[in-house]
Amino acid sequence: MERYLVVDGAGAMSVFEIYIKTTPERLWEAITDPEMRAKYSFGVRTDSDWGEGSQYRSGVPGVIEIAEGENVEVDPPRRLVQTMTALWSDDVKAVGTSRVSWEIEPVGTSCRLTVTHDQLPADANSEVYGGWPMILSGLKTLLETGETLDTPGSLRYAGATG
Amino acid sequence: MDEVFRALADPTRRGLLDRLRERDGQTLKELESELPMTRFGVMKHLKVLEEANLVTTRRRGREKLHFLNPVPIRLIHDRWVSKYAEPWAAALSELKQDLEEEE
Repeated sequence: MERYLVVDGAGAMSVFEIYIKTTPERLWEAITDPEMRAKYSFGVRTDSDWGEGSQYRSGVPGVIEIAEGENVEVDPPRRLVQTMTALWSDDVKAVGTSRVSWEIEPVGTSCRLTVTHDQLPADANSEVYGGWPMILSGLKTLLETGETLDTPGSLRYAGATG
Repeated sequence: MDEVFRALADPTRRGLLDRLRERDGQTLKELESELPMTRFGVMKHLKVLEEANLVTTRRRGREKLHFLNPVPIRLIHDRWVSKYAEPWAAALSELKQDLEEEE
């Protein structure tokens, strides 16, 4: 299969791929529903109306702000392209705005989910994109078993209230 | 998961993953430049890594770039490592969190 092009000038790029036994529709819901999203994102919810050009915010209200950005392309249940500005520390704020693309491709009875994090500065703090493996592993566990991961770190803000 | 363990059970392939971790998105030419191995040998190792989904490729013009996909390693961690190391790791992680909150 011909994978999409790496556009010149896209900056540093990291690619995260996972196969999940689910439908594109359930996967899309798990990405865009704030309560479901929190279950595999350290307890962090992401709120938006998911219109093209709309804004989103990720965080634990009253506790910590994690990220904000724009939903640049919204094509359910296949493709979501967002800008991302990390907010959880001064170090990650200094990285500025990067881009996160979610792509869902059905493969047999499963889906391949690809998260491409690009438009990063070459020396970007790896915290900004380093959380994806844990998040995607938790997403797989949630959709395939209905359970949440309880490995160290995965419940960082679960149950936190402001 | 068998494919991931098989792919990781070779020092050259683990070395290739380390090189991509240091600098992601390398061409075959870049990856083979520091290895005492034929291009064909490196290609065979990369194929095993791709089949295990530990390496994924993207085209840029005529070039094929190789990217490290760390997700399968995380899945092994969550399925295997955390189960066996969890009591200690969880305690250490909580201790670290408590100390950081006290700062």
